[in-house]
Amino acid sequence: MKKILFMQPSPWPARLDLIQSISGLLLALFMWFHMLFVSSILIGKDAFWIMARFFEGHFFFSKPYPIIVSILVTIIFTMIVIHAILALRKFPSTWQQYRNFSSHMVAMNHSDTTLWMVQVITGFAMFFLASVHLYEMMMEPELIDPYGSADLVWSGHTWPLLMALLICVEIHGSVGLYRLALKWGWPTFGDMDKTRQTLKRIMWSLIVVLLGLGFLALSTFMRIGKDHASNKGQLYTPSWENKHP
Amino acid sequence: MNRTLKFNIFRHNPRDPNSTPRMENYTLEESSGMTLYMALTLLSEEQAPDLAFDFVCRAGICGSCAMVINGRPGLACRTLTEKLPTKITLMPLPTFELIADLSVNTGKWMRAMSERLETWAHLQEETNINKLEAPMEPGLAEQIYELDRCVECGCCVTACGTARMREDFIGAVGINKIARFHLDPRDTRTNADYYAVLGDDDGVFGCMTLLGCQDVCPKDLPLQTQIAFMRRKMALG
Amino acid sequence: MNIIYTDVLVIGGGLAGLRTAVGVKRRGFNPLILSLIPPKRSHSVAAQGGMQASLGNCNKGQGDNEDVHFADTVKGSDWGCDQIVARMFTHMAPKAIRELANWGVPWSRVTKGDHEVVINGEKKILEEAEAAHGLINSRNFGGTQKWRTCYTSDGTGHTMLYAVSDRVIAENIPVHERKEAIALIHDNGRCYGAVVRDLITGELIAYMARATVIATGGYGRVYGVTTNAVINDGAGIGIALETGVARLANLEAVQFHPTGIVPAGILVTEGCRGDGGLLKDITGYRFMPDYEPQKKELASRDVVSRRMAEHMRAGKGVQSRFGEHLWLDITVLGRAHIEKNLREVQEICESFLGIDPAEKWIPVRPTQHYSMGGVRTDYKGESQWLKGLFSCGEAACWDMHGFNRLGGNSVAETVVSGMLVGEYVADFCATEEGQLTVSTSLAQTFLKREQAKLQAVLDRSTATGAENPVILRKAMEHTMINKVGIFRNGPDLEAAVTELKALLQRSRHIKVGNNHKGTNPELVLAYRIPRMLKIALGIAMGALQRTESRGAHSREDYLERNDQEWLKRTLYSWPEADAEEPTIDYESLDVSKMELPPGSRGYGTDNIVPHPDTATLQDKVNEAQSQGGTRHEIQERIMPFRELLPECYRELNERLS
Ligand SMILES: Cc1cc2nc3c(=O)[nH]c(=O)nc-3n(C[C@H](O)[C@H](O)[C@H](O)COP(=O)(O)OP(=O)(O)OC[C@H]3O[C@@H](n4cnc5c(N)ncnc54)[C@H](O)[C@@H]3O)c2cc1C
Ligand code: HEM
Ligand code: HEM
Ligand code: SF4
Ligand code: F3S
Ligand code: FES
Repeated sequence: MKKILFMQPSPWPARLDLIQSISGLLLALFMWFHMLFVSSILIGKDAFWIMARFFEGHFFFSKPYPIIVSILVTIIFTMIVIHAILALRKFPSTWQQYRNFSSHMVAMNHSDTTLWMVQVITGFAMFFLASVHLYEMMMEPELIDPYGSADLVWSGHTWPLLMALLICVEIHGSVGLYRLALKWGWPTFGDMDKTRQTLKRIMWSLIVVLLGLGFLALSTFMRIGKDHASNKGQLYTPSWENKHP
Repeated sequence: MNRTLKFNIFRHNPRDPNSTPRMENYTLEESSGMTLYMALTLLSEEQAPDLAFDFVCRAGICGSCAMVINGRPGLACRTLTEKLPTKITLMPLPTFELIADLSVNTGKWMRAMSERLETWAHLQEETNINKLEAPMEPGLAEQIYELDRCVECGCCVTACGTARMREDFIGAVGINKIARFHLDPRDTRTNADYYAVLGDDDGVFGCMTLLGCQDVCPKDLPLQTQIAFMRRKMALG
Repeated sequence: MNIIYTDVLVIGGGLAGLRTAVGVKRRGFNPLILSLIPPKRSHSVAAQGGMQASLGNCNKGQGDNEDVHFADTVKGSDWGCDQIVARMFTHMAPKAIRELANWGVPWSRVTKGDHEVVINGEKKILEEAEAAHGLINSRNFGGTQKWRTCYTSDGTGHTMLYAVSDRVIAENIPVHERKEAIALIHDNGRCYGAVVRDLITGELIAYMARATVIATGGYGRVYGVTTNAVINDGAGIGIALETGVARLANLEAVQFHPTGIVPAGILVTEGCRGDGGLLKDITGYRFMPDYEPQKKELASRDVVSRRMAEHMRAGKGVQSRFGEHLWLDITVLGRAHIEKNLREVQEICESFLGIDPAEKWIPVRPTQHYSMGGVRTDYKGESQWLKGLFSCGEAACWDMHGFNRLGGNSVAETVVSGMLVGEYVADFCATEEGQLTVSTSLAQTFLKREQAKLQAVLDRSTATGAENPVILRKAMEHTMINKVGIFRNGPDLEAAVTELKALLQRSRHIKVGNNHKGTNPELVLAYRIPRMLKIALGIAMGALQRTESRGAHSREDYLERNDQEWLKRTLYSWPEADAEEPTIDYESLDVSKMELPPGSRGYGTDNIVPHPDTATLQDKVNEAQSQGGTRHEIQERIMPFRELLPECYRELNERLS
């Protein structure tokens, strides 16, 4: 046990903890919007097209500015980097620490402990997976389009990456939100144990729903991409523009 | 109907140069109402007279007998063998200094924790004990008692992955203690004073909300809500 | 050679020892505490029910004061106590509780307005005064006229021990844990500290001190089936006896608690009955009102335990695989009350019996619980025979409990005696006599002697025909339970004495299976057993010779309380190390110096052979009362005690009304 230090305590540990939580929270919320956006493909190509243009400011400036997306990507990427660096402090930093944790985890057989390891692993994986995805989005935002995206997914062979990313992010994010609620104290009315059980149930439901939606959307992109493979590179024209040339 | 229990017990005396850490097997007939206290006492009387373990109250109130029972920390004296499978593995609590076999030095750890966090009521002045005591809201007294019920058994520290990785982490036991004094009007410390002992990554910000503590605490203390409470107080004021 | 010096060596980290150390430290001397275990694990932690102090805040406590508490205590003791000490104690108890309140004990508080209680099996409404709101509450306990037992839910001892232990840490007092005092260092009637064995390394260390305080708790473990912790084996007072100089007293005064659970012997608190729980027999019949129409379940412990034993003898017990028992019914209190105020009880029932006490009755029977006897001291807590040796808490026979202590008076005693003895010890250290002027060779002699004794045990590890400590312990427990229990009689006690003597002889050839010097639980048992046997033998011999029934000591062949012959304390010493038995003599209680003349307790059977001086004392009391004045003035006329208190504690206690 370490000794007490008589120094003015630093305010930073508190701030860093807050930043970590806030960045996690914002990322998780962003991923919900992102899911709404991506899964609009399930409604139809038009829906996705509208969403994509929406984010490019099409409906505000009556002209798409893909740079808006690039900026958004940069912001998200920065957030991920900050979040990841802060999270890195919590990673086992030596082999000994890792061994202690994992043997403890196996022996305890305790879900919240195991789920933390899952978060570490998924987080670690995402650092690479998300970087690739974000890099693509950043460099070619104008390709975000029912066909453009589908081509990228299928003909650009990013679907395995996206599938892995999907699994990682939904599990990581949902578990993260559950942890966040308990970490800062979800407002409880009555029995805390019951509240925790409920939160846990919500967490698992979220994981199932989001993964399900994500897979459906991704498979839709893959189908579109496969059908569109011969014309890859060509972007989508909304149906109403087709009807009324 | 009686089962035969197979014990697999950690044996090692770090002060004996001839001793190496090992697991040893013992078998014992189960009897009804048998607790691990009774079982270990029988084992030491009949099969392993040199087996070291700690029991004091043998009634689940003193916190001496915490050990890792089939992977999870718990108070051995109030663990009924009938609630366990026939194969029972007993290990000493890790994170504490090993004395021998199942006996660890939780007392030393707890005293150091107390000194570090100053887990006593910091009084403004001595009050006159000949006069009426200062009144306290009955509900508040109950709330304080709720948090005061910790028996310093160390189960929460053992169950905490953070504590396993970082030996300076103060554990749920420490954070709960500060929460207890924070609640207590007799302790005149301010949030800033508490921050000085709790506000770093070995303190409340080190907790990664793994909640093992909450799930093993033999006194069912509301550790999760107290850690969250202290985190809010320390981070948001 | 290992020698550690300190001003005051406190042996024992329970409430008594810790509070003494705080007092010494505050007077500017350096205390050092020894404990077998971390102090917060001491058995003080197990006290669930509460601590008596006559605050008189709650409705049923109104009108309470030191006088009422004093009378209850003396009656409880069956007039066996030292009334001066009982007076000092009752005067100090409110201060002790208020000090603890300052230190952070979250005493349960009074809530103004109406609340429901269960009294005598019926629900009643009590109203609490506005002015009492937020002051310390109290509950009903056996043998008291008022509701006087202050509590924190049912974790009283826990919260007290933690507050005092944390205070010790705050005052930066060293506690040497996992150290066992195995002999006192003394010379020429003066005690200089102790030889101590480190239970981790096996090393022997001499702790030299100006004053030594024994606060090692009770000796219930000589009975095997007891509510006491496994470390409460009396070995601490055993080392005082083994000096051959210091004396123990009243060992035969052993209390049985009515409600130990069957079979584990774990206690469920008196608070269960205090709060309205009932005792029932095999037919579900509430039998206590038949025996004790007035106090019913809440007569003093010795009485209730005996009545239970009597009832079981009458064939009304419940037979079970673990022997006979009766029922404690707290379902009448309702789930809400149990889950709030008796949660520890609920936890115990769930963990050890697998039942929910809000729904099912608890199997109980009287179980060894408290040791009234111990190291004999004067009112200052100092041994009259060995200078510089003090004792307090359950280990001492300071003598405020006499032959039966009241529930809630024991944790109160630990803190009160700690407060007082701390002062007296500091006074002693400040005198000429209290200096440490002895050479280190004395320490060396004692170290060598103890080393040799331990080595002899270790050397026997391969000897044939040597004795197994576990077998000796079991035989002792068996004898004590069966022959020196709640009801005692001549033939059984004689047999017990013979058996225990034989066991003590055998214990001189004790051996251990392995010769590790360090952590070695077998060796520990091996050197404690002879000490435990000496205590056990003391109990049996004292009980055999005391041909009367007083308090917890109940002879079937001598039913009356014989004040004429037995208003005296039994004293034990062991002058020759290899003697077969203790030397017993007696110290008479001086009736003429008492305040409360020996009389009826108001519960139990009245069967008294009066002391010839009783009438004279009664005249003195009447005379003092007829002169009028405040209750303090009258009291002062009969039995002055105030100037015996340390000056800082002489003031009167304030109360609401
Ligand atoms: C189950 C139970 C419930 C109780 N409930 C109540 C109640 O409600 N109200 C009440 O008033 N009383 C109650 N009592 C009685 C009361 O708790 C005890 O009498 C009291 O706490 C004793 O305190 P102590 O400080 O004298 O000794 P303990 O608390 O027993 O402490 C003894 C200390 O001595 C140390 N020690 C012993 N031997 C040695 C040695 N050789 N060397 C070094 N250290 C040594 C031990 O480590 C320990 O720290 C209860 C008792 C029991 C068993
Ligand atoms: C890409 C790299 C990422 C890494 C390395 C990473 C790592 C981690 C780790 C280790 C934790 C646990 C921290 C702790 O216990 O204190 C965590 C928490 C969290 N993560 Fe991530 N993460 C990453 C990305 C994301 C993303 C994209 C999201 C959004 C869905 C996210 C959401 C969260 C949330 C909500 C938490 C809980 C915050 C907290 O406990 O304070 N993370 N992350
Ligand atoms: C502003 C930043 C982002 C933009 C603009 C964006 C855009 C897109 C687009 C257009 C797709 C459709 C497929 C494709 O074109 O490849 C997609 C899919 C996907 N994105 Fe993002 N993304 C962003 C950030 C992220 C982040 C931070 C993550 C996770 C850490 C992520 C994870 C995924 C996944 C898993 C898929 C495929 C899953 C599915 O179909 O549901 N994205 N994203
Ligand atoms: S918080 Fe619970 S688990 Fe931790 S030490 Fe206290 S009682 Fe034991
Ligand atoms: S297990 Fe450890 S990480 Fe926090 S929630 Fe409990 S202290
Ligand atoms: S021995 Fe006291 S809690 Fe188990």
